[in-house]
Amino acid sequence: MSVEHRFLVRELKLVLARPGDFFKPMWFLILVISMVPLALSPDSKLLGEIGSAMIWVATLLALLLNADQLFRDDFVDGVLEQWLFFNRPLFWLVILKLFCHWLFYVVPLILVTPLAGMMLSVPNDVMIALLVTLLLATPALTCFSALGAALTLGTARSGILGVLVMLPLFAPVIILAAGVLTRASDGSDILPLLALLGAFSIAAATLLPLAVGVALRLNIGGSS
Amino acid sequence: MLIKPKTLQFQNLTCVRDDRCLFADLSMTLPPGSLLRVAGPNGAGKTTLLRILSALHEPDSGTVQIGEVEDHLESRQEILYLGHKPQVCQDLSIMDNLMFLTDASQAICFQALQFVGLKGCEDSLVRELSQGQGRRCGLARLWCHEVPIWILDEPYTALDPGMVAILEDRINIHVGEGGVCVFTTHQNPTNLRFETLELARVS
Repeated sequence: MSVEHRFLVRELKLVLARPGDFFKPMWFLILVISMVPLALSPDSKLLGEIGSAMIWVATLLALLLNADQLFRDDFVDGVLEQWLFFNRPLFWLVILKLFCHWLFYVVPLILVTPLAGMMLSVPNDVMIALLVTLLLATPALTCFSALGAALTLGTARSGILGVLVMLPLFAPVIILAAGVLTRASDGSDILPLLALLGAFSIAAATLLPLAVGVALRLNIGGSS
Repeated sequence: MLIKPKTLQFQNLTCVRDDRCLFADLSMTLPPGSLLRVAGPNGAGKTTLLRILSALHEPDSGTVQIGEVEDHLESRQEILYLGHKPQVCQDLSIMDNLMFLTDASQAICFQALQFVGLKGCEDSLVRELSQGQGRRCGLARLWCHEVPIWILDEPYTALDPGMVAILEDRINIHVGEGGVCVFTTHQNPTNLRFETLELARVS
């Protein structure tokens, strides 16, 4: 079997072996969203206005729940250092790992957001814009949190540190996404901002795996 | 199983950790069929040396070369490195772990697990098994891979005497076929004929 095939099979089996990690972000999202009407007001007009932004922030935070774990178990068990003996460049393996993470953990979470949208009575056209922004933005967010996780791999119990390091990079993504959502709610053209968001994700997905690879290698033992 | 014999050589290896010189100017040539034990007290730099030989760690000076290829990183796939971390994932089954670490077919993996006495627990999760059984799963790779250079860091850890004998037989076969094996252990290998590289602890 090729390295890529083995990689994908293993990631899929890991998801099946750790159902807790799979459902945790979804529960988190639903819980946070169900608290909003209780804390604010059950007025559906008000909720509809702020709902999309609330869902965006809650989804972002839910994504961060598993981000720290991206490489940690494999690093502790010593599986990560075996990556270097596969006959593939490290950044390619990182791309595979991040793609699997996005597909198996992030996309299912995005699929749950319409439920959250209904709970906050977000209008349908805004909900569609929200789904598109999430699909376009999450590759970039996944790459950023992976870099944070890779940089803090050597520090035991780094917890939220990796996320904090990467927080400034999240800001432009959120600003662009918020722009899309406001434009969607007043009915103006959202395509230019979506294109920018997509460009941001493509740039992140092509450049950051290189940086993640270097950070992993540094943590494995300083060999370049 | 057939391997292409390769020579492992290192020249003038020096490693400094936290202002302490672990070793300086180590040079050695290991032609096909060599078995080398790296010995020394705790903290002498055995693991560091083994990681340098596996290209996981960069020496402060000196070079490592496998065969004719000058760039050590290029020849990484000639190396099988077993570290003292288990190198198996606790949440996956024995078989899944092994299939990820080697490109051997499922049939060969089955056979390898039989050799290390894990027949019948291919589908058990590693965390449900004992530490020694987890180690055996990592060691099963020795029966799957066809690479000439083996670097084994403390391969005897958590193994019972029966498994130690099986492992020593496997190392002897590998060396007999023209492979190179570098290992460390604090136990006394009874069934192996090896050279020793003694690292002293410099304090």
